[in-house]
Amino acid sequence: MIEKAIIMNEADLDRVIKRISHEILEHNRGSRDLAVIGLQKRGVPLGERIAANIGFFEGRQVSFGKLDISFYRDDYGSRIKAEIGRTEIDFDVTDKNVILVDDVLYTGRTIRAALDAIMDLGRPRSIQLVVLIDRGHRELPIRADYVGKNLPTSKNEMVSVRLRETDGQDSVLLVEGNDYVK
Amino acid sequence: MYSRIIIKNANIFDGIKTKPFKGDLYIKDGMVEDIDENIDIGDSKAIRRIDASGMMVMPGMVDMHVHLRDPGFEEKETIESGAASALAGGITTMLCMPNTRPVLDEPALLQYVIERGRNTGVRIYPAAAMTRGLEGREMTSMGLLAEAGAAGFSDDGMAVADARLMFEIMRYSRQWKKPLILHEEEYGFSRSGLVHEGRYSDSLGLEGISRLSDDLMIGRDIMLARESGARIHITHLSTKGSVQMIKRAKDEGVDISCDVTAHHLFFDDSCLKSFNTSFKVKPPIRSAEDRQALIEGVIDGTIDAVISDHAPHLDTEKNTTFSLAQFGTIGLETLFAASYTSLCRGKGLQPGKLVSLLTSGPAKLLGFDAGTLEKGKRADAVMVDTGGSYKVRKEDIVSKSRNSAFIGQELQGRIIYTISNGKIMYESG
Amino acid sequence: MTMLSKKSLLNIADLSPEEVMQVMETADSFAHISRREIKKVPTLMGKTVVNLFFEPSTRTRTSFEVAAKRLSADMINFTASSSSLAKGESIMDTVRTILAMQVDLLVVRHSHSGAVKMVDDMIDIPVINAGDGKHQHPTQALLDLFTIKGRFGRLKGLKIAIAGDFLNSRVARSDIMLFEQMGMEVRLVAPSMLLPEDYSCYRVENSLEDVIEDTDILYMLRMQFERQDRKLYPSVEEYRRFLSLDSSRIRRMKKGAAVMHPGPVNRGIEITDEVMGDMKSPYDNVIIEDQVTSGVAVRMALLYHILG
Repeated sequence: MIEKAIIMNEADLDRVIKRISHEILEHNRGSRDLAVIGLQKRGVPLGERIAANIGFFEGRQVSFGKLDISFYRDDYGSRIKAEIGRTEIDFDVTDKNVILVDDVLYTGRTIRAALDAIMDLGRPRSIQLVVLIDRGHRELPIRADYVGKNLPTSKNEMVSVRLRETDGQDSVLLVEGNDYVK
Repeated sequence: MYSRIIIKNANIFDGIKTKPFKGDLYIKDGMVEDIDENIDIGDSKAIRRIDASGMMVMPGMVDMHVHLRDPGFEEKETIESGAASALAGGITTMLCMPNTRPVLDEPALLQYVIERGRNTGVRIYPAAAMTRGLEGREMTSMGLLAEAGAAGFSDDGMAVADARLMFEIMRYSRQWKKPLILHEEEYGFSRSGLVHEGRYSDSLGLEGISRLSDDLMIGRDIMLARESGARIHITHLSTKGSVQMIKRAKDEGVDISCDVTAHHLFFDDSCLKSFNTSFKVKPPIRSAEDRQALIEGVIDGTIDAVISDHAPHLDTEKNTTFSLAQFGTIGLETLFAASYTSLCRGKGLQPGKLVSLLTSGPAKLLGFDAGTLEKGKRADAVMVDTGGSYKVRKEDIVSKSRNSAFIGQELQGRIIYTISNGKIMYESG
Repeated sequence: MTMLSKKSLLNIADLSPEEVMQVMETADSFAHISRREIKKVPTLMGKTVVNLFFEPSTRTRTSFEVAAKRLSADMINFTASSSSLAKGESIMDTVRTILAMQVDLLVVRHSHSGAVKMVDDMIDIPVINAGDGKHQHPTQALLDLFTIKGRFGRLKGLKIAIAGDFLNSRVARSDIMLFEQMGMEVRLVAPSMLLPEDYSCYRVENSLEDVIEDTDILYMLRMQFERQDRKLYPSVEEYRRFLSLDSSRIRRMKKGAAVMHPGPVNRGIEITDEVMGDMKSPYDNVIIEDQVTSGVAVRMALLYHILG
């Protein structure tokens, strides 16, 4: 992988996550009826951090769940299967304002699958999308409510997100290549 | 009844050693209390004294092939009358065959025989059928039968023609650790036969049963036993070929044993001249050559036991033409005398060897704790007069049926006393 | 993670231990989905699966049907009676007709050993063996393994005793292969007439008594007394005495030991009425219903790995 640019370092990431956490609370006027769901795999640690922040700021814990959408994808056979992670959502999504968290928003297909998956679990009052990076090139009419950074990219580039919890360090890099591996 | 008996100055065969021991046997409370040269127990009137000078004393015999016609044919013999006949022959333990009516193919029927046999003075152990109704089609519940007290399994009277079924029975029998006692007859050869196929059947115009009838099935079953590892016992040998085959099988390690009847040792087919239906038996009494081979088989140890194959039939069933008469001779009462006369007097076999073929030999084959005279063990004993001879007479027969092949024969080895569990159960008149 | 290396599943030996574990993990996820309100995922939408059953079966057929439907696939049931299909040609004609309908996968069951392979050889689309004669029943073995893993958390070193009519059981054959491959200790409990002539390659006991106190799992096989060829086993009474699971035996089992059966249970033969209970067994060792639940999850996992 050829590194082209460092988009965020550890400190940047930390600030962005804090800012997004505050935005969520501002928009929703508190954390009442909120539930955070992180998308496997890197959306999970991101979501965990956001949920922790919200809990800290409001002085009250907020529900957190993990979602795997392998069975909802529309692109089987066309890419190497990622590991099937676990869906662990032990609360009812009905009537909640679900904060869906993912690391990179690209074509929008992953989010579409996630919306289907969440709808099969119940009837949320709303679903709001948090992404760390929006890299453009949407193929479906999907948009994020909270964005860490907008980053125009070409199709020959990839956004590589590394997180402490999964990769040992926090960073976001722009790299050469288009292996569609998340 | 005396609880103490002392038998003095006897030639004691203990069923273990071949050589006899000259001395005394002291029985107390059902057990052998002592065997010694000179046992002195005082003069108490409560002790029965028996002077056995010149007499043979041996363990109560174990006859491993007897037909008691009970249940179903009680007019020929009952369990009680069969036991009385056995005691008159010096037999205190016997294995009875399941070809009764109904056939002993269910646990409840075995229990019936065991219960009825309990207080007769003879230890009666039933063999259970291998196939339902002895029809040779379906295996019996061998596990349940073994648990209900079957001492072994047999279809005696019938052979199992279906080789595959015989094989499966052999394989299954290993789980229950009981011997299979096999009556060997190939029906294609024996179907309408009456006597041994040979010079006499030819000249007498009687349909013969070829040696092949026995030998084919024995050959088959040896092969099946070798493959399955089963423990088999071939009963009532009649041909020279069978002795050879079994000897070879033993050498090869097949778990096999066999027996021969007293009448097959005593007679050859020249006895048929008289058309006496007493000699109509199955398997048939064969030629002098076969008889000689059987005797040699006894002498060299190939044959493990001597049996009576006691087969009671009514007078009406025997007093008819040779073709119509039933197969079989009674034999409990003459078992010892007939085999002693033909083997020990006739062919020089050591009496001690014959004794073990009638006592500890069959007991060991069946796993019975019987057939020996040992201190501390149950006192089953027989006193035999081997000095003089006696004529077998119809009127002396104890069994309910009279069809003895030995009537009119002069035999040596009359039974004088039979003691079972320390009690004198038979005393010759 | 890759797709299964072979597209068809005819024999349990077709799967490597790694592939087996993959299927186990996927089945786990599907088991979770089956516990939700909405038990469906859109994964196989637009795919068509055909149940081609030459031998009748309600349980296995329905299990595959539920599995396919929960993956949003379309399911067609084709049940042909075996007797009218005695000749090989008719199987071919049946298969040709189905293929002409552009389907994606066949689930095949037949009463003759090897017949499912025959179908697989004829066509290009994947085939799952739902049981062929006395030969193999690979999906049963997988669901049994999944059930065991779910209950014990591990596989290696577990003692399993498979009891009953081994000779005529495709379930037993597949199970033994799989269990031994995954490191379990397998013993057979069967009388000689329900074993092949040479059974030296197996560890064999003759009565349930020999295993009841130390086995972790007791797997009871279905017993059929009447078979077209011959009636080999002597009687129902004999079976009950030595090979049947009754309350006195189940009480002597190890704490936590499990009782399994591929179903349907012949009450009063392999397992007594008392042990089976009415809707549920009074003994928590009996996990036959868990096997059925596992069956759907495992079959979903297989369909996912082959067609997804």
